[in-house]
Amino acid sequence: MTAALFAVLAVLAVTGAVLVFRCASMARATFALLASLVCVGGEVILLGLPYLGVVTVLMMVMEMVVMAVFMVAYMMNPAGLMPMSMVHNRRGALTISGVVFAGLAAGVLLAPWPGRVGTAPQDTTFQAGAALMGDQMLTMVTLGFALLATMVGATVLAVGRGRYDRFGDDLSRPRPDDPAGGGVGR
Amino acid sequence: MLELFLLLAAALFSVGLYGALSQQSIVMIMMGIELMIAGVITAAAALWHFLAPAAADGQVIVVAAVVAMAVEMAMGFAVTTAVFRSRDIDTADAAEDLKG
Amino acid sequence: MSALLWLLAAVPLTAGTALLLTGRRLDRPAPALGVAAAAATLGLAVASAVLRPEASAPLFAGIRAGLRVDGLSAVMTVVVAAVTLAVLVFSAGEKDRLSQGGRFHGLMLLFAGAMLITVTATTLPLLLMAWEVMGAASWALIGFWWRQPQRTRAADTAFLTTRTADLGLYLAAGAALAGGVTALDLDALAGARGPWVHLLTAGVVAAAFGKSAQLPFSFWLSRAMQAPSPVSALLHAATMAAAGAYLLLRLHALLEATAWGGPLVAWTGAATALLLGVAAAAQRDLKQLLAASTCSQIGFMVLAAGTGGVAAGTAQLTAHAAVKAGLFLAAGAWLYALGTKQLPALRGAARAWQWVGAAFTACALALAGLPPLSLWAAKDEVLAAAFAQSAALYATGLAAAAVSAVYSVKALWYVLRETPGDAWQGYDTEESGTRRVTPLMRPPLLVLAAAAVALGVLALPGVFSALRDAVGTPDEPSPSAWQLPLSAAVALSAAWLAWRIQGRGPGPRLLRPAAVRRWAAGWLGLEQAARTLAVRPVLALARATAVFDDRVVDGAVHRAARAALTAAGLARRSDDGGVDALVRAVARTARRLGRAARRPQTGLLHQYYAQAAVGFAVLTLLLLSLR
Repeated sequence: MTAALFAVLAVLAVTGAVLVFRCASMARATFALLASLVCVGGEVILLGLPYLGVVTVLMMVMEMVVMAVFMVAYMMNPAGLMPMSMVHNRRGALTISGVVFAGLAAGVLLAPWPGRVGTAPQDTTFQAGAALMGDQMLTMVTLGFALLATMVGATVLAVGRGRYDRFGDDLSRPRPDDPAGGGVGR
Repeated sequence: MLELFLLLAAALFSVGLYGALSQQSIVMIMMGIELMIAGVITAAAALWHFLAPAAADGQVIVVAAVVAMAVEMAMGFAVTTAVFRSRDIDTADAAEDLKG
Repeated sequence: MSALLWLLAAVPLTAGTALLLTGRRLDRPAPALGVAAAAATLGLAVASAVLRPEASAPLFAGIRAGLRVDGLSAVMTVVVAAVTLAVLVFSAGEKDRLSQGGRFHGLMLLFAGAMLITVTATTLPLLLMAWEVMGAASWALIGFWWRQPQRTRAADTAFLTTRTADLGLYLAAGAALAGGVTALDLDALAGARGPWVHLLTAGVVAAAFGKSAQLPFSFWLSRAMQAPSPVSALLHAATMAAAGAYLLLRLHALLEATAWGGPLVAWTGAATALLLGVAAAAQRDLKQLLAASTCSQIGFMVLAAGTGGVAAGTAQLTAHAAVKAGLFLAAGAWLYALGTKQLPALRGAARAWQWVGAAFTACALALAGLPPLSLWAAKDEVLAAAFAQSAALYATGLAAAAVSAVYSVKALWYVLRETPGDAWQGYDTEESGTRRVTPLMRPPLLVLAAAAVALGVLALPGVFSALRDAVGTPDEPSPSAWQLPLSAAVALSAAWLAWRIQGRGPGPRLLRPAAVRRWAAGWLGLEQAARTLAVRPVLALARATAVFDDRVVDGAVHRAARAALTAAGLARRSDDGGVDALVRAVARTARRLGRAARRPQTGLLHQYYAQAAVGFAVLTLLLLSLR
C-alpha cells in the first residue's frame, strides 16, 4: 500500500514537473508546479514526517498563488492562447540535466548505503522542534537571520519610491513628491 | 526503497535543472529552482527515514530547504520587480550587461 | 781662487743667457756687450792660466762637478777666449748682415762658456753637459738664418750626426761606472776594470771622432758651412771641432790602457788628414775647402793624441785655431764684400782689399806648412811623435802635409790673381755684397794672422820643452834634426808644384781622373754613405714601428672596441630576441588567457548556471574518485 502510494505520488510529481515547462499558459504552469510540490509533501508525509509535509504543502500553496499573480503580471498570456516557448540552449540544458540525472542515478544505485541506525521516535515533530531549539540552535538562528535579511532586502529592492524619495532625506517636506496626485495625504 | 526515493529526488532535481538552464523568463527559472529544492527535500527526508531516524538532522535539513525555498521566492520576485522597474524587461537574457 | 774659475765659466754663460733672453730689445747694444763679455772672459782666462785654480761642487751622489786649469787646460782656455774675442769683434763689424745681434752674440757667448767648461772639467758628467750645450749652440748657430730652409736642414744634419756620436760618451760613462770608476774623474778613467775599459775607450773615441769630424763623420762639417762665417771661424775651425781632439789629448792615458786604442786613433787621424786633404784640393767653394782642410788638420791632432804626443797635439791645436780662424774670417769678409765664396769668382779679391788679402796670405802660407810659420812647427812635432810609433804613420802624415800645401796654394792662387774684367758676373751669388769691408773687420784678421806667423816659435826646442812640461808629458819625442828640413822641403816643393799647375790655366787640374775628382769634390761620398747605412734603416724601422703601432697596437684597441660593440649587439639581439621575446610571449599568453577568461562572462544567467552545474559535477566526481 505504501509502495503503491509512493509510486503514484512519484509519477504525479515527475509528470507535474515536466508539465511546468511544457505549458504555454502561465497559470497552468504554476498549478502544475503546485501539484508536483504537493506530491512531494505527500511523499514526505509518507516517510513519517507529517508536520514537515503539511508545512511543505501549505507553503507551496501560498507560494504558488503569489507566483501565479506575478507570472501573469510579468508575462501575460494567462490562457495560453499564444503558443509560447521561451527557451535558450535547450539542447545544452537537456544534455546537462540528462548527464546529471545519469550521474546521480548511478551514484544512488552503486553507493553502498549503510543500514538503518536507530528507530524513529513516536513524535517526529517534537524531535524536530527539540533539535531546533537545542542542538541545532545555531541553524535556527542562522535561518532566522536569513529570513530577516530576506524580508529587508526584498522590501528595499521592490520598493519604487519610499518615504525618503517622497519626503526628502530628513522627511521634512510638507507635501509628498508624487508623480501622480491623489492618495490619502500621507 | 531508499533507492527509489532517491531516484525520484534525482529525477525532480534533473527536471528542475533543465528548467533553470533552459528558461528565459526569470520566474520560470525560479520554478526550476523550486523543483530542485523539492528534490533535495525528498532526498533528505528519505535519507532520514532509511538511515538515521533517531537523530533529527534529516529533519533539520528539510527545514532548511523549506526556508531556502521561501527566501528564494521572496528575493527572486523582489529582484524581478526591481529589474523590471529599471529596464522594463522580464527575461534573464536581457539583463546581461551592467549599468555602465 | 776657485771663484776665479767659477767666474771664468759664469761670465760668458750668464752674459750669453742674458742676451738670449732679452731678445730683440738689446739688438743694438748687443755687439758691444758681447765684445765686452768676451774681453772680460779673456782677462779671466789669462789670469786662470797663470794662477792655475781648482774648483769643485757636488753634482750627483758620489760624483762631483770639478773644474781645474792644468797645463793643457791653460793653453786651451786662452786659445778659446782669444779666438772668441777676435770673432765677436769681427761680428760687430758684420752686424748689419747678422741682424739679430742679441741672439747671435748670446749664442756665441753661451757656446764660449760651454767650451771653457769642457776644457777645464775634471769629471765626465760635467764635461758631458758642457759637450751637449756646445752641440745645441752649434745647431742654433748653423741654422742662424733659419728662414732659409737649407740652413736649418744643414743644422739638423750636423746636430744629428754629432749627437749620435755623443752617445758614445754616455756609453763610456756607463761603462766607467760599471768598471769601478764611481767618481767619474777624467784622470781615473784609464783605471777601469776588465772588459769595461774597452767599451769606455770605444765610446770616448766615437764621441771624439764625431765632434771633430773625423772619418767617417766628416760630412757634417761640410753642411755646417751654411752658418755665418764668424760661426764657422769660432766653432767649426778653432774650438768645437777641436774639442774632440782635446778630449783625446786629455784622455791619452785611457788610449794607452787598451792595445787597440792608440793605433786606431792614430791611423784614423792620419787617414782623415790625407783623404780629407785630397777632398779639400778638389773643392771649388772656399768655405768647403777650408772645412775639409779643418778635418784634415784636426786629423793631425788626433794622430798626435793616438801616438802620445800631447804637447804636439796642443801645439797643432793652438796654431790651427789662429790660422783657420783667420782664414774663415777673411773668407767671411770677402763674402760680405762680394757676395760669393766660389774660388773662381774670388779672383783678385786679395788685391782689392789688401789688409784682408795680406792676412789671408799669411794664414794660407801657414796652413801650407811652409817654414818658419806656426803650422810647420806644430806639424813637425806631431810627425815626430808619429815616427816614434811607426814609420808608416810618419809617411802618411808627411803625404797629408804635402796635400795641405797643395790646397792652401790653390786657394791662394785664385785670390792673388788680378781681378778679371768679367769678375762681376760671379759676384752676389750667395747674398748681395756691399763692396766694402768695415773697419771692425780688420783688427781681428791682423791679430790672428800675426799669431799664425808668431806661433812658429814652437819649433824652438826650448819653447816646445816648456810646453811639454806644462802639459805634463816631458818624455814626448821632439822632432829630430832631419825631420824638420824634410818636412820643409816636402811642403815647399808641393806648394811650388801646385802653383805651377794652377798657373797653367784655370780649371781643376790637380786631380786627373774625373771620377776621382768627383768623388773627392763630393767629400768622399761620406754623406751618401751615412744616409744609406744609417738614416734609411732608422727611418724604415721608424715606419715599421709606426705601422706596427697602427695595425697591431692601435688595431688591437680598435678590434677590442669593435669586439665590444659586436658583443653588445649580440647581447642586445639575444636580449631582444630571447629574453624580451620570452617576456613578451608570456605577456601575450597572459593576455590571451585573460581574453579567454572573459568569454564565460556573458552576463547570461543560464550559462552561469550551466557552468556551475558542470563545475559541481566535476568537483563531485573528483571528490568521489579521491575517496
